Amino acid sequence: MSAGAPDLLPDLVDKEVMFFGGKGGVGKTTLAAACATRLADRGRRTLLVSTDPAHSTSDALGVQVGSAPGPVGDHEHLEAVELDPDAEADAYIRDVKDRIEEAAPPRIAQEAMNQIDAARGSPGAVEAALFDRFTVILNEHGRRFDRILFDTAPTGQTLRLLTLPEVMTEWMTNLIRARKKVRSLARMWGNVALPQTDQGPARKFDDDLLMGALVRRRDRFKAVRSVLTDRERTSFVFVLTPEHLPVAETERAVGALAKAGIPVGPIITNQILPPLPDGAQDDAFTARRLARQSRYLERIRCSFGGGAMTLLGVMMQEEEAVGLEALRRMEIRRLSTVID
Amino acid sequence: MLSRWRRIGSSLRRALRQAREIYEGLYIAPYRASIHREYLRQHDSFLLLGYSDLLGVPNPAQFYMLELYPALVDQFHEWHLRLGLEHPPEGGFRCC
Repeated sequence: MSAGAPDLLPDLVDKEVMFFGGKGGVGKTTLAAACATRLADRGRRTLLVSTDPAHSTSDALGVQVGSAPGPVGDHEHLEAVELDPDAEADAYIRDVKDRIEEAAPPRIAQEAMNQIDAARGSPGAVEAALFDRFTVILNEHGRRFDRILFDTAPTGQTLRLLTLPEVMTEWMTNLIRARKKVRSLARMWGNVALPQTDQGPARKFDDDLLMGALVRRRDRFKAVRSVLTDRERTSFVFVLTPEHLPVAETERAVGALAKAGIPVGPIITNQILPPLPDGAQDDAFTARRLARQSRYLERIRCSFGGGAMTLLGVMMQEEEAVGLEALRRMEIRRLSTVID
Repeated sequence: MLSRWRRIGSSLRRALRQAREIYEGLYIAPYRASIHREYLRQHDSFLLLGYSDLLGVPNPAQFYMLELYPALVDQFHEWHLRLGLEHPPEGGFRCC
């Protein structure tokens, strides 16, 4: 960034909630960190959240990031957190166990505990726990932060996490409907049952507990869903490199998000090879690579440039962008100005 | 005078009780069993919907149903007794 020139990036990448996604290795962690740093430099209270189990946010920022939001170095407005999916799942399991210890008679408590330990190993456990934490962060957003940036796990996993609210809202609604039927029949049964029968109506306390839990879950999923699909507040930023695999994957993922109603943009093309300087020796290898790159840049423009989506580009750099200062120097500009 | 009113009152109460018993015998009793059956049926279908994974049917809410365990474990126990199973089916709630 030339000295004195205003940094335009915060204007181009500026939604309340932003997800940075893309294939592994394309630089999404670095770009998320760079955008977060520059939004924070503008005075936005910014939180950078890493949900990638690989956790390179600490490496990109050049400071140790903890499992709870904490300031990045001595930056006034920038905080970061690295979520540990396994630790989140353990915390959820602990919470359930505590509740069972309170509510269940000791004769069943032990067996219940074993059952729950078994569920801890199920494939949905980590995902659900992560989503739970994600919900808490989104809810905290309004109070503590102006901007939240999620550095997400590889594409497939993230797409599932983002479409989870839709599936789960539906599922919870069905459960609530079934439970309401049970409840009204329990009431009818309560009216006609002989007083001396011991199979009285459903235990009121348990029923309230159940209904409360189901409704709370459904409302949470609904709330997350409404944030995710809010064009004014949310956007999914894709990072890719001008190569076959990242471009193809991003094309598919953009389609999937559009289907789920999640807004997408900008799309950042990273690691663009600079053109050969004038008078440089004609190097066949480099020339072929550059030709290949232009083909993919053209494809990126065709696939994503049609609508209102902003295309940004970053030139491959000599310097590795590690630490706040280097992240501030990263030149992220409109794609058309990078390659022309 | 007072005792006479009391007599009338108690025979009125007796008559009312008899009337209610006749009413119950006529109208409610035939339905009592079926209401109870329907209640249990709905409850079982709720358990099925919430814990379908125990039967091998994928359930996206499996992990979230864990927290409802304390509220449902007693009913689950009654359910498998109703089925005629002395012990709960393998892999499900461990209630007894």
